[in-house]
Amino acid sequence: MKKYNIELAVGLFVLAGIFCLGYLSIKLGKMEIVGGKGYEIYATFSNSGGVKQGSNIVIAGVEVGRVKSISLENYQARIVLSLIQGVKIQEDAIASIKTKGLVGEKYIEITPGGSEKFISPGGRIRETQSSVDLEELISKLVFEKI
Amino acid sequence: MIHTFLLQVFLLLSLIIGITIPAFAGEPQEQLRQTTDKVLAILSDPALKSQNKVKERRELILKVVDERFDWEEMARRSLARHWAQRSPEEKQEFTHLFKELLERVYMDKVEGYSWNKIAYEGEHIDGDYAAVKVKVYTAKDQTIQVEYRTRKKGTQWFVYDFIIEGVGLVNNYRTQFNEIILKSSYQELVKRLKTKSTQN
Repeated sequence: MKKYNIELAVGLFVLAGIFCLGYLSIKLGKMEIVGGKGYEIYATFSNSGGVKQGSNIVIAGVEVGRVKSISLENYQARIVLSLIQGVKIQEDAIASIKTKGLVGEKYIEITPGGSEKFISPGGRIRETQSSVDLEELISKLVFEKI
Repeated sequence: MIHTFLLQVFLLLSLIIGITIPAFAGEPQEQLRQTTDKVLAILSDPALKSQNKVKERRELILKVVDERFDWEEMARRSLARHWAQRSPEEKQEFTHLFKELLERVYMDKVEGYSWNKIAYEGEHIDGDYAAVKVKVYTAKDQTIQVEYRTRKKGTQWFVYDFIIEGVGLVNNYRTQFNEIILKSSYQELVKRLKTKSTQN
């Protein structure tokens, strides 16, 4: 009887451990189990510039979503953005790929537009700007000076 | 029997041709090329090269550029959320100031041009919108990537944004204007634009 109790306790403990591990991996991996509440739009960039699945999408520095997938379409990068519910994106908003600091991670910034039309789920942000290659720009500036 | 078949083929063909003609590839690029060529012709006109003709030449260039650039759309997109709150008079005034700002910034660059050639690298048409990619080869053998964003109105394509080396004009001004308006006010932005225009 006593042995049975100990085994039950150990079993429960292991189960709790597995549950914690699962919770952690979902939290850290930023996965969504039940699809999450939100909607998707997409944008094509001539250069994805190192944006990855899970990269942040921000408006005015506030995170409003994440990159869901990146694929090649017509030799351009097609990036699907998963946005949280309630964040409306105007039809003339601009999505640009930016870098945190000089060598930091890449993220997508959306500059809100002034249009009264909003992009519906599954729609496309037409105005995009690929990442600026700072190194290339600096070298151009340097050589222009000489 | 054969007649109906031929008729069907004919109808199908006319349908296909009928659809493809309005979306004639190369239209936005061609119109942009015409504008650029006109500007280049004015710049290389020896009769307009002397010092006292500078103003006249400027006006000629502006007239050509006016035909291709949609200043109001550019101003509207740059002011973004704050555009809707403005009165029609304010919108008109702002468009004018914005145009003057761009004139000041880019006129010198156009006038002092030193490029070897301009290559048109293709376009991407999406309904009434089109992006035209251009590569400018400078005299120093460097290349500058420029992308024009155009929008169709009637039969003409108008430029509403351009991106130089990955830096977009509208996005740049949108961020700057937004910051100024949020920090102080729209009136302050207009004041700044006005003082800038009187400096020259």
